[in-house]
Amino acid sequence: MQERIVTISNRLGLHARAAARLVRRAGQFASDVELARLDTGESADGKSILSVLLLAAARGTSLTLKISGDDEERAADELVELFEQKFGEEASDGVF
Amino acid sequence: MASSNLTRSRDVKLRGIAASPGVAVGQVLRLDERGRHQFYYIGVSAAQVRMEVRRLREALDEGRAQLRESKVRLARELGYEHSFILDAHLLMLEDERLVAELENDIRTRRVNAEWAVRAVTDRAIEAYKQVSDSYLRERTSDLEDVATRLLTILSGKDEFDLSKLDQDVIIVAKNIWPSTVAELDFSHVLGFATNAGGIASHTAIIARALGIPAVVGLREVTRYAKTGNAIVIDGAVGEVILRPTKSVIRDYSLKRERDEKRRARPGVKPSEAAETLDGARVTMRANVELSTEIESLARFGAEGIGLYRSEFMFLNRLPELPSEEEQYAIYRKLAAATGDAGASIRVFDLGGDKLTLEGFEEENNPALGLRAIRLSLKVEHIFRTQLRAILRANLHGHLRVVLPLVSTITELRDAKRIIADVKQEMAEAAIEHNAALPVGVMIEVPAAALMADLFAREADFISIGTNDLIQYILAVDRANENVAHLYQPLHPAVLRTLAYLVRVAETEKVPLELCGEMAADPLQAIAVIGLGIRTLSLVPASIPLVKNAIRSVELERVTSLMKDAMKLTSALEVEELLARELPRQAPRFFAAWPSQQ
Repeated sequence: MQERIVTISNRLGLHARAAARLVRRAGQFASDVELARLDTGESADGKSILSVLLLAAARGTSLTLKISGDDEERAADELVELFEQKFGEEASDGVF
Repeated sequence: MASSNLTRSRDVKLRGIAASPGVAVGQVLRLDERGRHQFYYIGVSAAQVRMEVRRLREALDEGRAQLRESKVRLARELGYEHSFILDAHLLMLEDERLVAELENDIRTRRVNAEWAVRAVTDRAIEAYKQVSDSYLRERTSDLEDVATRLLTILSGKDEFDLSKLDQDVIIVAKNIWPSTVAELDFSHVLGFATNAGGIASHTAIIARALGIPAVVGLREVTRYAKTGNAIVIDGAVGEVILRPTKSVIRDYSLKRERDEKRRARPGVKPSEAAETLDGARVTMRANVELSTEIESLARFGAEGIGLYRSEFMFLNRLPELPSEEEQYAIYRKLAAATGDAGASIRVFDLGGDKLTLEGFEEENNPALGLRAIRLSLKVEHIFRTQLRAILRANLHGHLRVVLPLVSTITELRDAKRIIADVKQEMAEAAIEHNAALPVGVMIEVPAAALMADLFAREADFISIGTNDLIQYILAVDRANENVAHLYQPLHPAVLRTLAYLVRVAETEKVPLELCGEMAADPLQAIAVIGLGIRTLSLVPASIPLVKNAIRSVELERVTSLMKDAMKLTSALEVEELLARELPRQAPRFFAAWPSQQ
């Protein structure tokens, strides 16, 4: 299992758009993706938009990404990158 | 239409909010709120469980297919900024957790698919409501929309395929949801009448963009209207008449025909100028809310854009603000489409009755609260992002910015200082932009009107926003039915204010224009031209109508008519004078002008 800690740095937090990007990306991997808030311990299934939205993770929230499966390493790298790139929020790429 | 049922029933008159001008006469199509679709709890046997699971899966497939199609349609017809909400819906239907929970409910509780959908989504909605995050709480409406889509599919009652209407209808509903609008076949929709909504509601905006008459805020229209009933709506007055008598239908049909004739009088081409009989030229600019309306500018003969309501670009998506790139793309489109005529971008007019930003508490009295320029100056980074996008896009045309709701000169000075600062930053960072950006003030607050001479010395132009100005002068909320009759654009206090602004603009030699619904009402438009205003900005679909009115009058005569009007003591007297004299002066246009206008 891969465990990574990320902090949400995009302005709007894990709201609809960012959550959707995360879920879409997570869905491309075979591995299970779990997100857990460091502060409350609440966790969510990274492949479920309803579950991710319920975390209500605003900017500044730190999360542990727990990823396990055949492609866990690649999944961990790419998902961490997504957080680091602020879900493309600052440079709108026009899709979605 | 000649059924005896019609003549037996009585005219039921309902007053609402005039959301999009025009008269429509036709048949009701009631949109039942999908959330209210009747569905039953049915206990199912073990053998039937598999069948219910299959029904559910088929409904999910169907729902996803509908959403994918709607998304494409919406992006094409209204621009991609509106299609994002449907993608969130699609992801919900693809959510394996949701699907698993639905199937689990069917299996363990032995219920029908409808009941499982209702129960599971209700639980999810309940969970969302517990979260202390206002944005997330509002996402419950998305869940509701998704749930009702599934229920509609499951109920199998496809009474109407909205995208393939085979007759002209007037849609009557509690509210019109964005996902429904995406499915409508607009070529058969004559009008909208809704219980909910205000001037800035989604229904109103879409209706204006499409040039379809609409009355919103009717409160109870769905209680009285049934599918197939005859109905008349007057979107300029805000009136709906249900099951009208033959004579009422005749009156309104005539009124509609007159409207249409005025709009499309043979010989008046979009390229023909709005010029009075004695040669005075009036500039007709467009009020624009959706970037897709740009295509209609040439068709209606608009000379540039007098008011782009920039805050509408993120309708339905707050608190997410559009990025600089996204804004740039839209402003560039505005700049390129308007060429030398140019486009005035009103900077975000947020707060108040419009839209609220996250992190700001609801106010007791939003009309007098933190809104428009006050908010832009307080949340400066949003303002700066917008300015950068405008300055960059300005390379492709002639943009102007308008500051909404200024009440003190310091607001204008602060805004100008920030604009200068942004320009300097961009120059230092070698970001290409066009710094020739006129800055105007929108006069909406009586204080600013009274000090217009001082504003005129520091602003590049003055734009009069009559909708709010009238509300603030008369202390009347036009959406409040108890006082809406006191919202009187022709009130002497309003006319005096406009006359003063005209004088100031002449003395100080600054361009003056008027935007607001007064400009779209032929009678009121002629009145303001008689007061000396020469540039109007209005909803594009109304330009041909008002242009025809202008081409039917003599400036000299309407100027002297307004001199008389200024001596009168009430709005009613002014209206009576205009309704009496304009048909004499300009029978070609104003003959038989309905007196209730």
